Amino acid sequence: MKKKLRRIAFLGAVLSAISAYSAVSAIAQARRVVSIIPATTEMLFAMGAGDRVVAVGTYDKFPSGVEKLPRVGALLDPDVERIISLRPDLVVLYGTQQDLRTQLERAKIPYYPYVHKGLSDIAETIRSLGARVGVAERADALADGLDRQIQQVRARVAPRPRVKTLIIFGRERGTLRGLDASGGYGFLHDMLEAAGGANVLADLKTQAVQMSTEMVLSRAPDVIIELHYGRDGRDTDLAAWNVLGGVPAVRNKRIYVLSGEEFVVPGPRVGGATERLSRTLHPEAW
Amino acid sequence: MRRRIVATVAGFGVLAAAAVLLAPLAGSTTISLSRAFDRSIPFADNVDAQVFFVARLPRVVAAALVGAAFALAGAVFQALLRNPLASPDTLGVSAGATLGAILVIAFHLDISAFGVSSIPVASFAGSLGAFGIIYALSIARRRGTSTTVLLLAGVALTALLSALNRFVTLIADFTDTFRSVRWMMGALDVGGYREIMAALAPMLVAFAIIFSLPRVLDLVSLGSEAAEFRGVDVKRAERLALVGASLSTGAAVSLGGPIPFVGIIVPHIVRLMVGADHRVVLPASALFGAAFLIVCDLAARTLFGPVEPPVGTVTALIGGPFFLWLLFKRQR
Amino acid sequence: MNTTALPAAPATSDVILKATAVSFAYDRARTVLEAVSVTLRRGTILGLLGPNGSGKTTLLRLFAGTLVPARGEITIDGARLDSLSRRALARRLAIVPQETHSAFDFSALEIVLMGRYPHLGPLELEGADDVAIAREAMRATGTRGMESRPFATLSGGEKQRVVIASALAQASDLLLLDEPTASLDLGYQFDVANLLRRLNRERATTMIVSTHDLNLASALCSELVLLKGGRVLAQGTVEAVLTPANLRALYGIEADVSVHARTGHMTVVPLGRAE
Repeated sequence: MKKKLRRIAFLGAVLSAISAYSAVSAIAQARRVVSIIPATTEMLFAMGAGDRVVAVGTYDKFPSGVEKLPRVGALLDPDVERIISLRPDLVVLYGTQQDLRTQLERAKIPYYPYVHKGLSDIAETIRSLGARVGVAERADALADGLDRQIQQVRARVAPRPRVKTLIIFGRERGTLRGLDASGGYGFLHDMLEAAGGANVLADLKTQAVQMSTEMVLSRAPDVIIELHYGRDGRDTDLAAWNVLGGVPAVRNKRIYVLSGEEFVVPGPRVGGATERLSRTLHPEAW
Repeated sequence: MRRRIVATVAGFGVLAAAAVLLAPLAGSTTISLSRAFDRSIPFADNVDAQVFFVARLPRVVAAALVGAAFALAGAVFQALLRNPLASPDTLGVSAGATLGAILVIAFHLDISAFGVSSIPVASFAGSLGAFGIIYALSIARRRGTSTTVLLLAGVALTALLSALNRFVTLIADFTDTFRSVRWMMGALDVGGYREIMAALAPMLVAFAIIFSLPRVLDLVSLGSEAAEFRGVDVKRAERLALVGASLSTGAAVSLGGPIPFVGIIVPHIVRLMVGADHRVVLPASALFGAAFLIVCDLAARTLFGPVEPPVGTVTALIGGPFFLWLLFKRQR
Repeated sequence: MNTTALPAAPATSDVILKATAVSFAYDRARTVLEAVSVTLRRGTILGLLGPNGSGKTTLLRLFAGTLVPARGEITIDGARLDSLSRRALARRLAIVPQETHSAFDFSALEIVLMGRYPHLGPLELEGADDVAIAREAMRATGTRGMESRPFATLSGGEKQRVVIASALAQASDLLLLDEPTASLDLGYQFDVANLLRRLNRERATTMIVSTHDLNLASALCSELVLLKGGRVLAQGTVEAVLTPANLRALYGIEADVSVHARTGHMTVVPLGRAE
């Protein structure tokens, strides 16, 4: 009797050890990842997990491998059926996509909720996503590299006076209507601060501000940066600004167009974006 | 009668003039008026002057023109359709203008012309397209079109165009969708006079047409046969009214966006004050419409902190409850 | 009805309005009027009688100039109707429709003033004499007292009298009335009929009255035209035209037609359906 009990106990211990080990491995590895967020898609590829990505979102453009992957929707219209049919073991989605989360829970598919916050959170997200997928080492290295890059930029411009800057990320072509500017909150604002600029809208604690012409005149930025991305890239008509000749940026012809998705995707390329921003604001420091 | 018209125009004229003169004095930022009008400072360096003359004044002028144009169009449509609840939106002209603008925004089209940017050009073209459909319908039948048919056509066209608008909005990038939605709430911050000058020509033509019609509109509002019995060339009058009101609406929407409620509320308030005779109602509506929109825009840019809501939200906040009140009043 | 012996018309026999062999169709399928000839003499009240669809309203519209005959011609004071401009014609004759609805809050006086439109100059503004004429028309129709009341708040009878005043202000000696008492209560019917008779007697206003009401027609009119299926069935004085045979042909009813003892004009009492 005693012998039998001991054998059972031993078997039980071995079995729990095996299942514990498999459970840990199951949590620590994801081999079929769906990412519907441009930022996280970039992160996954940059941390070497690109071969694990089986599908991406509608707006994902970088890196070049993503066009070959199937697209399964985005924030407003995720294609739940398609996602589930791909049998992923991890779905990276927006924290606010409640319906999608419920559906995935029902299908017993694990997910990673992504929250879009400030500049410092990007490295944090890279680390936690990397751990979740099972490439923690590469992810940490990537995050460290990003932190370093941004720190270097800060250091370069630290001794210099901050430049009063206005970042415009949207405008009706040919006019000054529909000005969308970066407010004093969010990763774009953080990038500007890191690059040695002083956001003229820093006191408005919101990511996007609709500006009136009166506001532009009264805030008097020394530099205006227009971000062009997506299909708008071609338009560089800055003549519309000439009506506001009293703005220092206009008077001194310091209106710059910066094109590229890296300015609007809070992913691993923000380091490079911050550097580009800094070179524009403080050319003498570079 | 002559005296009444002169008195009304004078009274409302003072109101409109006061609005135009006083509104640029206030804004989201404080400026020094003495500096603004100080000629010794070169304009390019004078920020106060620029705020006054480049940021605020064009905005006030645009508000005046757009407000007058919507109010006149509303009054004419109400007479034409014999319905005090009609508006510039009833026959689909606004929906057509919106479609034009949304197509430009969603597909990043570049159709600027005559120094005017794409969206105003497209929305004007869209309004003309919608008007063309309604007009073709109104002249297709030899004996003229009853207002019921016109109204139904307008409802159908508006429904079709709104569905198209929604569809284009959905397939667009969501930043473009957001821009479309924002455009639809109206924006008078034109920055400079170029766009105003472009919209002025069609507006003046529209006003000239409309102001040739006031007595005829009185008669037509009793019924087309009733007007015909009194010697009115009803077909010609109805066509002119349609052209004038649609042109006015199209120009207004291309300059300021489809600002809601101005076209319905203003003629109503005016009629409550001066009676129903269009020889008084039309000039009063134009002047009161100008003052009304100037005040709404002033509220939008001063009352809500540095970030301003679109002027359409203010007109809707005032107009919505007023409209409900009107409906209740009519029920009794 | 008040005792007034017929005929009320003065003896002038000028022809003021004449339709000669007029035909009209709204579309190819339906011919509404076929070879209709009607003569209206100055100072008479002519009644147009007939069932629905017989063409009464169409004939009025042809006389008013808002429709153009396919065949035949209409003359007014000897001149062809289509030789007159719309405004000139409107100065000459005025129509009182069955109902008038105002979408806006015009006062009674403003409605009457609309009748002055064809008389206005290029500025289209009424002068003091236009207002005087309007007020006189309102006096004649007993509506002076409601001058500043909103038209929409008036009773049916009051509205019709105001509309008649508007027609008088427009063209005081020739009126065409389309079922003027159809939507009115008996009391208001009486008022309006009385008014029309008085206008005819005091101002020699010539009228065509289209109506369903046989007794109104016999009390008011001096001559009748019976229309059936777009054709003239009978035309002449009331006594000559309002016969049981004609009523049988027109409405398919057996009726008793007699002279009313107290009023002196014909009354019609339906007895039953004709076989």
